[in-house]
Amino acid sequence: MSDKFKTMEDKLGLDKFKAFEKTHLKIKEGVDAHKLVEGKLFICPAKVYELNDKGEAIVSFENCLECGTCRVAAPDEIEWEYPQGGYGVTFRFG
Amino acid sequence: MGAEEKFDLIIVGGGPAGLTAAHVAAKAGLQVILLERGEFCGSKNVFGGIFFTNVMREIMPDFEKDAPLERVVTRRRWSLMTPDGEMAGEFRFNKFAEAPHNNSYTVLRAKFDKWFADKAEEAGAMIITGAVVDDFITENGAIKGVKARMDDGDIYGDMIILADGVNSLLAKKIGLHRELPAVSTIVGVKEVIALPEEKILDRFGVEGSHGAAYEYFGYAARGAIGSGFIYTNRDTLSVGVGGTIASLIEHKLNSNDLLEDFKKHPVIAPLIKGGEQKEYSAHLIPDMGYNGLSKLYADNVMVAGDAAGFVNASLYHEGTNLAMETGKIAGEAAVMAKEKNDFSSASTSQYEKRLKETFALKDMKKFRNLPKTLEHSPQLFEKYPKIMEEFVRDMFTVDGEPKGKKQARLIKRLLKQESMFGFIKTALDVRRVIL
Ligand SMILES: Cc1cc2nc3c(=O)[nH]c(=O)nc-3n(C[C@H](O)[C@H](O)[C@H](O)COP(=O)(O)OP(=O)(O)OC[C@H]3O[C@@H](n4cnc5c(N)ncnc54)[C@H](O)[C@@H]3O)c2cc1C
Ligand code: SF4
Repeated sequence: MSDKFKTMEDKLGLDKFKAFEKTHLKIKEGVDAHKLVEGKLFICPAKVYELNDKGEAIVSFENCLECGTCRVAAPDEIEWEYPQGGYGVTFRFG
Repeated sequence: MGAEEKFDLIIVGGGPAGLTAAHVAAKAGLQVILLERGEFCGSKNVFGGIFFTNVMREIMPDFEKDAPLERVVTRRRWSLMTPDGEMAGEFRFNKFAEAPHNNSYTVLRAKFDKWFADKAEEAGAMIITGAVVDDFITENGAIKGVKARMDDGDIYGDMIILADGVNSLLAKKIGLHRELPAVSTIVGVKEVIALPEEKILDRFGVEGSHGAAYEYFGYAARGAIGSGFIYTNRDTLSVGVGGTIASLIEHKLNSNDLLEDFKKHPVIAPLIKGGEQKEYSAHLIPDMGYNGLSKLYADNVMVAGDAAGFVNASLYHEGTNLAMETGKIAGEAAVMAKEKNDFSSASTSQYEKRLKETFALKDMKKFRNLPKTLEHSPQLFEKYPKIMEEFVRDMFTVDGEPKGKKQARLIKRLLKQESMFGFIKTALDVRRVIL
């Protein structure tokens, strides 16, 4: 038993992922990605959308928990589809 | 699938809604194919939670023999969380440990849905996993089947039941519902935390195979519109919190940070202390209520479960049994349509007609004002919990002040923070929509 709980990055390490070669999440062309991440996509439970040092949006689709929160938060600004069947996250508990 | 092959019924999604429809229709002799995008049924599914088994008992009376059930819920507790503490009410009935077990079991969906899928296969349904359906096959405007993103993924069938869950991209595609609104869609984040069985029994005051469900309202989501939970499994706890997407954005709260804070809250921390995290997950809950239900049928198509918006988010927190009931009625409607060899909306509309007679649609209707009331009562999630905490804590503070004087002073202070009218109106509104 541990005394300290794991936080984000380590927590995602508990889950089973099978990454597909192609992303299933895209910020649409012409959208101010920086503003979108700061204004809405920061709520993602896996922090998939983050800004790098240069303020550009990074989309770590391989960590996606496939909840759909970003899709509902920004329906007009992102393209969202399910990953290829059998890929993505596999919950062992659920 | 060869083009010559055609099914009576195609079901998209292997959660409780789809699996129930598959079980019912296959058992009645229909040629049923179910397509599930996950590696196995349950591999993408997350809930609290309590699986309410009233419909399971109808379709499979002996399910308790081998279903992967965690604990029978004999104790439910509702707490109004405040920033520093809580005020709670609960029931505990050992009678609920006896058959029919109040139809309330904690389960883990990856195991449970997988087991359920095996049963649907035994009933005669064909289940294809790793198959994500992206679109419909249409001919002259009529829906003839679905397109799965895989080799030979064009699948033909007379009828389609969409049981593809809360993000029902397919129901949206054919205009049966609009996009989920951010104000009434909840994102739930959850951890499964392992704890030795004796510790679970001691901490949650239950015995043997009994279990507890703790639900947290008020300040559970740091002022956002949301709630939290702990459910006891055999040797793990399901711990989670959720809030509407709109209010998390408004409060600038990341949903994982919310869970981290919830776990550190003084009333939660001692309950989970020393546990070992096993899994982290997230999932949406459609909380639009009755007025936000999708259109339930079209020619050749019916929509069941979360895909249609069937969740009762009142104090009862039911989704699994509504998914099963709608899946069951949709499956039965498909059987009737096959008998008549009529798959037009004249037939599929029977689904809605029959649903009106069931608890599924009646309960949705009874609680139809809940989402609006919560949305329009942000005071329930921050202001009132804070006021209540102050009031109750000071009322019970032992300091030698005469009780009469203390009460008068506190009531006066309370009414400075909110008018009696405001309290009573909110209390009545809430009472009306949650019970
Ligand atoms: C945090 C949380 C707590 C909850 N707590 C409770 C609780 O305690 N009690 C309760 O009764 N309910 C609870 N619910 C609600 C309950 O989980 C749902 O109402 C229920 O699972 C709905 O069942 P369903 O079959 O309609 O959808 P799902 O269980 O979501 O199943 C949909 C299935 O379709 C598959 N799928 C989706 N799209 C496609 C596609 N395009 N192609 C192929 N397959 C696809 C998915 O992988 C999934 O297997 C909770 C929900 C959440 C998120
Ligand atoms: S689907 Fe959920 S986990 Fe995936 S990127 Fe969107 S918000 Fe994040």
